[in-house]
Amino acid sequence: MEKRGENYWNSKLREIQNNKPEKNSAYDEWKARTLEPWNKNTGYIPREFTNSSSIDLKEVYTEEDLPQNHENQLGMPGEYPYTRGVYPNMYRGRQWTMRMFSGFGTPSDTNRRLKYLIEHGESGLSIAFDMPTLYGFDADNPRSDGEIGRCGVNVSSLQDMEEILDGIDLAKVSTSMTINAPAAVLTAMYIAVAKKKNIPLDRIAGTVQADILKEYIAQKEWIYPPEAHIRLIRDMMVYCTENVPKWNYISISGYHIREAGSSAAQELAFTLADGFYYVEMGIKSGLKVDDFAPRLSFFYNSSINFFEEIAKMRAARRIWATVLREKYGAKNERSLLLRFHTQTSGYTLTWQQPLNNIIRTTVEAMAAILGGTQSLHTNSYDEAWALPSEEAVKIALRTQQILADETGIPDVIDPLGGSYYVEWLTDRMEEEAYRYFDTIEKLGGILESVKKGFIQKEIAGTSYRRQMRLEQGKEIMVGVNRYVEKNEKPISTLKISLKAQTDQVSKLKRLKESRDSEKVSKALRDLENALRNPEENSMPYIIRAVEAYATLEEISNVGRNIFGEWKEPVIV
Amino acid sequence: MELKSIVEGIERSDTRSVARAISIVETESLHVERNLIIKSIYPKTGHAGIIGITGPPGIGKSTMIGNLCKILSSKKIKVSVLAVDASSPFSGGSLLGNRIRMQENLSRYGVFMRSLANRGLNGGLSRAVWDAVDILDAAGNDFIIVETVGAGQADLDIVNLADTVIVVLGPGLGDQIQAIKAGIMEIGHIFVVNKIDREGSFIAIKDLEETLAFSTQGEWKIPVYGTNSLTTEGYDDLIRGIMDHSELAKSSMEFRKKRYREEMRIVMQDEVSRILNRKFKDMILNGSELEKLLESKTDPYSAARKILKGSTVKL
Amino acid sequence: MSGGIYLENGKSQLLFKDKPIKILLAKPGIDGHDRGILVLAKAFRDAGMEVLYAGLLPTPESVVETAVNEDVDVVALSLLNGAHLTVFRKVADIMRSKGIDDIALVGGGTIPDEDKPKLEEIGVTGNYGPGTPLSVIIEHVTTRAAEARKRKLSR
Repeated sequence: MEKRGENYWNSKLREIQNNKPEKNSAYDEWKARTLEPWNKNTGYIPREFTNSSSIDLKEVYTEEDLPQNHENQLGMPGEYPYTRGVYPNMYRGRQWTMRMFSGFGTPSDTNRRLKYLIEHGESGLSIAFDMPTLYGFDADNPRSDGEIGRCGVNVSSLQDMEEILDGIDLAKVSTSMTINAPAAVLTAMYIAVAKKKNIPLDRIAGTVQADILKEYIAQKEWIYPPEAHIRLIRDMMVYCTENVPKWNYISISGYHIREAGSSAAQELAFTLADGFYYVEMGIKSGLKVDDFAPRLSFFYNSSINFFEEIAKMRAARRIWATVLREKYGAKNERSLLLRFHTQTSGYTLTWQQPLNNIIRTTVEAMAAILGGTQSLHTNSYDEAWALPSEEAVKIALRTQQILADETGIPDVIDPLGGSYYVEWLTDRMEEEAYRYFDTIEKLGGILESVKKGFIQKEIAGTSYRRQMRLEQGKEIMVGVNRYVEKNEKPISTLKISLKAQTDQVSKLKRLKESRDSEKVSKALRDLENALRNPEENSMPYIIRAVEAYATLEEISNVGRNIFGEWKEPVIV
Repeated sequence: MELKSIVEGIERSDTRSVARAISIVETESLHVERNLIIKSIYPKTGHAGIIGITGPPGIGKSTMIGNLCKILSSKKIKVSVLAVDASSPFSGGSLLGNRIRMQENLSRYGVFMRSLANRGLNGGLSRAVWDAVDILDAAGNDFIIVETVGAGQADLDIVNLADTVIVVLGPGLGDQIQAIKAGIMEIGHIFVVNKIDREGSFIAIKDLEETLAFSTQGEWKIPVYGTNSLTTEGYDDLIRGIMDHSELAKSSMEFRKKRYREEMRIVMQDEVSRILNRKFKDMILNGSELEKLLESKTDPYSAARKILKGSTVKL
Repeated sequence: MSGGIYLENGKSQLLFKDKPIKILLAKPGIDGHDRGILVLAKAFRDAGMEVLYAGLLPTPESVVETAVNEDVDVVALSLLNGAHLTVFRKVADIMRSKGIDDIALVGGGTIPDEDKPKLEEIGVTGNYGPGTPLSVIIEHVTTRAAEARKRKLSR
């Protein structure tokens, strides 16, 4: 397939070019015959019709816009290349998981919220952590002052995890934890809680995000330089493949890339490029692609341009299946399935006229369902103001329930399949992604591209262009730059009291006084030795340190001393 | 802040006074204040060793400066850093980059750092950079490190300003030497191959030593050092080299004369263009002569000479 | 650029004519949300300012130190993690303890309305949220910069 001097991506791009229809005579003739005379007589709105990926849109699409091999590219649901869906029966077999991200304040606050959501019919837990936890700082670090429990729950040690999961049957729920830099430590804590509750490790199920590449790209929550984190993720991956079979150790995330300002096409391209990197990492560490690829899952953003989002999700499935099979030689059907969680966009929410956000979230949730998501988080209307209130969270959950049970939208699989526009747009998204893969390879791979700041600059460029378009009124946000209301009424929001901080700090102080400090320092010393040896798997040592009640920061500091901290390349 | 307290502050090495003084020399319309400050502090200058650091982007200059500052300040040697952004436009806005994040590390060692948007003539180092160096010198620094960012004339100009020019390169020299052939090889007193943990650095050092085998700067034999910024390997040699060269430069009357001459040339150029802007503006732009010259189709060279000759300028 | 004109001895002067507004952008908390601040960096540059970006995770102490060394006109603080009251106050306190009155502090991020008066009280103004037109922010920064610059020049 590949020609000399051509990489895999070039050959894919050539394939796409070769299959592109040369011209569309039906459209051209219609335009001359009907459209242009009409426009001349009755006028039209002079504006650009384009989407977040800067793809220009025609008035209408026809069969002739699709490539010759269109049918092969599509396939049927549950069949290669999975454009129409990863499962043969999709939502008729199983509804998507309504997974509401939650977490705030102290571990016991979060424990109460999780139980509330289980009571109201949520089918999977999802825990958000506060900033100090995400960066590996304890509650008593001076840098954590004012940040405890603000953006999620604070976890400084195993006792916090025990409190969060108190009274919840870990054999019955699946838990998703949005954690990256310290993912191995939080996974170790979850494992430790399961062990204490006498639940065998093959029965606990869950996901950690652990997609460190996108941290350097977009979310910027890192501790060490990239190579050190990649090594820790590798250790977790190998350990869990062998010991915790229902643990999805990497959720490759486009959500934050998109929130950082990328286009849909960039989100698509960069997540998949990250995904291919993790596949190569697994292969390099001695695992077989079919042993671990089925455990990789994705996490997409569903933003406001309805059809573009759907096209992005369909293209993602097709590219993943194709590349895993053709480039990485995956044989197991399950390795080819791109399963993903979706969260509706936070960026499209406005603090102006906040109730409008319910409508935005509804449209975005519909796109996710039509795009074939496996699980969904719908944002609450007050999130541009603060962490969501209980009432707002309930409306967001009800939005999903209405879509699931009343609208009939999920009844038929991929109902937009065969739409000339959606199929054409899916092809364009795919093409844009392959172009990026090629550029990234030429820059020396995704890690190098990130370390050089290339990916970050691409996103910052798109984000700035979008902002300029808003300023110029070329893009509209209702309530922001059109239909603005002079006097906005404030809404009531969730207040996080400073009590969360004082509680966490004093609890930590008591822990440090009562634990076996001899045991802690030995566990940390052993961990240090393990980390210094790149061949050693550090995961069992992290679990032991956690079980000795070493704190998150103490464990993270072992790495900080060995690997140093990371400073970002110049982006602006 | 009053001018008098700024001058006193500089002599006390007070950070805010130094910072404000640099702002003043950056502001063209404050030339009266600037002249007063420089005049007051100039007698106190001449102590600091001025180190220019240059080299292609992405080679780790910032990290190297951080390490140098750390080691020097641990020896109770007072250092300040000027980062000169030669890529900023002559007018309008600029992004001075996030190089200033270096500051967080430097402040731990009590090192003053300042970034300057360079708006010099022909892209060379601006007068403000020379003034800033004088201010930092008078403030009692033992060393002033001047980093030039963004290739161009400013990289070459550094040889006039600095006692010691360090050219930083990385492994895989071939391309870099090609890329910087524009004279940079001739201005270095010390060459450093950074990132010696990387492949190809041994060969790079050897290549460089061969290239420089017959080059000297006066009686100074140009050394090549390898450094590793992570382990600070090679820094002891580098610092010894800097000290040696700095002593040599300071003791050379020839060099001090050359430096003074260059500073004066820049100041004169600046003065002339300032006067030109101020005094001739009315005459050129609003005078009736302009129209006459235009109508008679006098070429601009002859016109300019005519106007200049007809004027009586007093400095 | 508007707002840069002031009167001295009855003559109008252009404050930023030969030295543009110098602004330091910083996120002095544990917060990686940098979409807004990166957009602002470019927007301020395009409005003719000299822009310094302190990168992620600087401490309040180092933000003030940079502001002093660079002698900026404005320090713009951004936080979207809810810690603005604690963290912005730290920056303001350090400035006050050093007697710095010629550098303006402005803020932005996810800041609830009821917090805005508290921030204004400690001298942090603006406090704009997402969705604020850039022109509004630029104008506010220019006004504050003019106040700061005038104090720098007064003697």
